[in-house]
Amino acid sequence: MSDALFTFALPAALLWPLLLMLWVPLMAALADRGQPRTPLDGLWCSAPLPALALALGVEERSLALDWWLLGGHWALDGTRGPLVAVTALLWLLAGVYARDYLAGEQARAVTGDGAAEARLRRFALLWPLTLSGNLLLLVAEDIASFYLGFAVMTFAAYGLVVHAQTRDARTGGLAYLVMAVLGEGLILAGLLWGAGSAGTTTLGGLREGMLEAPGGVWMGLLLWLGFGVKAGVVGLHLWLPLAHPVAPTPASAVLSGAMIKAGLVGWLVTLPLGETAAGEAFAWLGRAMLVAGLAAAIGAALYGVCQRHPKAVLAYSSVSQMGMVTVLVAMGLVAPALWPALSAAVVLFAAHHALTKGALFLGVGIGEHPPRLPAWLLWTLLALPALSLTGALASGLAGKWAFKAVLDDGGYKVVVTWLSLAAVGTTALMARTLWCQWQGERQAREDGLAPLVSPMPLAWLGALLAALTLPWWLGGELVDRGWPPLAKLPGLLWPLALGLAVSVMAWAVARRRPPRASWRLPPGDLWWPLVSGGQRLRVWGQGSLARLGSAQHAWVAWWVARERDAIRALDGMTRGEGWLRHHAAVLMIGVAVGLALLMLFGMASIGPA
Amino acid sequence: MSGGLLLLATLGTSLLTAVLIFLLPERAFRARTGLNLGAALIKLSLVAWMVWGLSRGRGYAVEFPVLEGLAFVLRADALGIMFAGLSSLLWLFTTVYAIGYLEDSPNRKRFFGFFSLCVASTLGISLAGNLFTFLVFYELLTLSTYPLVVHRGTSKALAAGKVYLRFTLTAGLVLMIGMVALHVLAGDIRFGQREILAEFGPEDRLLLVGLFWVLIAGFGVKAALVPLHGWLPRAMVAPAPVSALLHAVAVVKAGAFGIVRLVYDVYGIELSAELGLLYGLVAVASVTILFGSLRALAQQELKPRLAYSTVSQVAYIVLGIGLFGPLGTIAALSHLLHQGLMKITLFFCAGNYAEELGIHRIDELDGAGRRMPLTSLAFSVGALGMIGVPPVVGFLSKWYLGTGAIQAGMPWVIAVLVASSLLNAAYFLPILGRLWFRPGPDHGVGAWPEERCLGRLETHAWLLVPTLATALFSLLAGMLAGMPFSPLEWASRVVNAEYLP
Repeated sequence: MSDALFTFALPAALLWPLLLMLWVPLMAALADRGQPRTPLDGLWCSAPLPALALALGVEERSLALDWWLLGGHWALDGTRGPLVAVTALLWLLAGVYARDYLAGEQARAVTGDGAAEARLRRFALLWPLTLSGNLLLLVAEDIASFYLGFAVMTFAAYGLVVHAQTRDARTGGLAYLVMAVLGEGLILAGLLWGAGSAGTTTLGGLREGMLEAPGGVWMGLLLWLGFGVKAGVVGLHLWLPLAHPVAPTPASAVLSGAMIKAGLVGWLVTLPLGETAAGEAFAWLGRAMLVAGLAAAIGAALYGVCQRHPKAVLAYSSVSQMGMVTVLVAMGLVAPALWPALSAAVVLFAAHHALTKGALFLGVGIGEHPPRLPAWLLWTLLALPALSLTGALASGLAGKWAFKAVLDDGGYKVVVTWLSLAAVGTTALMARTLWCQWQGERQAREDGLAPLVSPMPLAWLGALLAALTLPWWLGGELVDRGWPPLAKLPGLLWPLALGLAVSVMAWAVARRRPPRASWRLPPGDLWWPLVSGGQRLRVWGQGSLARLGSAQHAWVAWWVARERDAIRALDGMTRGEGWLRHHAAVLMIGVAVGLALLMLFGMASIGPA
Repeated sequence: MSGGLLLLATLGTSLLTAVLIFLLPERAFRARTGLNLGAALIKLSLVAWMVWGLSRGRGYAVEFPVLEGLAFVLRADALGIMFAGLSSLLWLFTTVYAIGYLEDSPNRKRFFGFFSLCVASTLGISLAGNLFTFLVFYELLTLSTYPLVVHRGTSKALAAGKVYLRFTLTAGLVLMIGMVALHVLAGDIRFGQREILAEFGPEDRLLLVGLFWVLIAGFGVKAALVPLHGWLPRAMVAPAPVSALLHAVAVVKAGAFGIVRLVYDVYGIELSAELGLLYGLVAVASVTILFGSLRALAQQELKPRLAYSTVSQVAYIVLGIGLFGPLGTIAALSHLLHQGLMKITLFFCAGNYAEELGIHRIDELDGAGRRMPLTSLAFSVGALGMIGVPPVVGFLSKWYLGTGAIQAGMPWVIAVLVASSLLNAAYFLPILGRLWFRPGPDHGVGAWPEERCLGRLETHAWLLVPTLATALFSLLAGMLAGMPFSPLEWASRVVNAEYLP
């Protein structure tokens, strides 16, 4: 592709979703009142297509736009290209899926249900907007565009989370928004500090400047935590298990598959990974990240297996998987020499997780509305991405081998062992997900089967296929590690075996002695104590604000009182004047007499002398 | 046209309009509207002409002596013309809005007469060439705004007007004392003659510091710096276009602009830094930013919340002034324009909600996005800009403030900025949530307080068009910040040309 064509194609790929977004209200305005409208049409689904085509067709290109914000600089390269391709593909499949998933609402909107129509129109508007933000942040190389894309994606996705407008959806939306705003604040602080120190507007300049700036590691910490909200760093992950289950399934798929990766992309483009000049402070940041990542990877698995909703289990699985990614990113700070090899593994792992988790989420909807397939085939298809996620086959195996080989070569066997333990947790989570789905599916199967050839099952199958075949079509240097030799397979597969054994044991124990209802751990773990703490803080804050207000009133009242005193004093002068006027004659006489006496005595005293 | 004449013509346009409006009878609606719009357009084009001329290196100045050693000076420099451009542009929109807003209400003649006078004084402030001229127009602004604040004539409005006069007249007095003292000390200082004060020896330094704070106290009342901000939330009883004028175009901005002039053109940024004045400014601004945001959070009504938001946002300008270095200066000067664009949009929207649906409280806004989508869109743009979300201009201000703080060696200012952004989000996002995500009367839940269908569009076109225009400007000024003549570009040009320390 020539430069001139690229100059046109990249903005067009980003603008296309926005144009489709504008198309929705335009069509609604143009259509006759009585005519039913279906905003989610085939054209609407095509929003990510140009970006997908561009990412698959272009190797390395960049674009500078001087007039844009603080100076725009967008690029596609070996890291960004695959991520854009995977992201766009997932959005495309989820969009097609959404068309069918929301068909019930479309039908109700057509028959005149105003609430359903409003919800549907909002979904149709915010979906492409979120997408364009997601794509922009992936291609942005200047800080302002990156932050713009991140913010647009974050805020627009709120509408997708609260789509159902139930109480749970509101809670999920609130958790999402509060954490997101907090994250934006941390990111803004880190970006401003870093960019101000380095005097730069590009992300590359930011990374370099951070190495030399005096408080560089603190900028790194701010950015890590800020993007960590999105990527589900332990402690900041609360919104994930609350928001994912309540969002419509296609939205959960892109939230967990594509948008969560925005946090990872944030780390990749802002942290000085693989810089041997980074110094000891950054290595300590890396160690902190490592510990936090492992805590998330294992803790989320332990908490997640106690969940009852398959999407909540999958959300905890996302936290766990992102914990593993955090560990890999942390290695870029702890052992910078490994990073060149490791970064390819990170991107491959991220791409694998994006599509596989997308397929799993889409599969939840399939379990709820099973298509006309024999049960064994359906369950095999549902289990395939789960197995892939545990690292047992296809893209999962390739991804796991990619980082395991690098870490083994670098002598970080302990980290590998811990990651394998996390994979045991993943296996348990996947078993739990399938078990939850199994329960739901049996119920749904009695209600009747959906036709196979419709957008929803096809999109799910497409996601499945894309996820499993990822190493073959993604190409490039990301997969040059290839496949593990047979001798290495036991080292890669023991977590799966152990996880399965643990799951079966746990199942047997739970079956014999079902846990009491009061033991159930709510999704969102830390959110609930924080909410009650927040309530208390709010009461306190309102009290202190009221005190502040009354202090201000007292201050104003004091001044008003002083003013009144002053006026009273003036009035007193008027009264005094009146009194003087009244008694003027007497006073004058008094003065005259006084003077006369003074003179008299004066004369008398002077006289004899 | 010669330089001086052009200046006088620009100033005269509004003054003459004011006189003519007072002469016209109350019922001459068409003539008054035509006069208002015509004058606004003429003035805007005259200012645009001067902007173009200045960018070509022309100069515009006129002066005549008033007393021995004291002159009345009008001069268009890059900084002044920036403020003049803002006020002329926003005046046009506010005029259009006011015509729609005050339709069928009594005393329109009085309103528009003082309205024009108010804008004439703002223009005078922006083109003043020394403190004396500045003060003359500054006081004129105080007096011409009072009838607008009390326009409704209710007891609440009269009380607010009283508070307004108390604050501003006292401040004017303080300002005059400071100015006279400075005059005695150093003679007539033209804006830009920074060397006069810089040459004073160490023995006068204490006096200079004292005078600086006296003058800041004078300007701080209009700029609504805590603890001198009390009048601003009270003045909320005024009609929406007046609020827009107070918050975005004239009064608050005049105070902030006064501080800009004082620091950059009278004391000079280097002297101010040497005397340690800037630390004080940054401290005052930080306190104001946080205090204003906190108070805004506690408000239950829309306009008071916006008013406290102004308290907080205008302090950004002062914060930028306090950050020694080109980036902080760019932040201060560009935020002067950015805040105006965003805040006027928000007030227009608040007025639209009040006029069309009778909404004053925030909890009445549920589902208003469906009933008034364009107004709500404009409100969202303004609110997101205030939070600092790109591509709205507010982000650029925050960017330059943050990077300027690093440049000035005050990284803790970033904490203030982030805290203020979070607080902004905390008080604006719930409003947006109510607008777009809560079911309201148009979804069949409850009823609007007082619905009037004012036109074929979602509201009266005279109200809707200026709202959308200013929202669009705040969006475009952010997205196309790198283009020539964008607020940011012009601010950078001013800084590069005149104030590089």
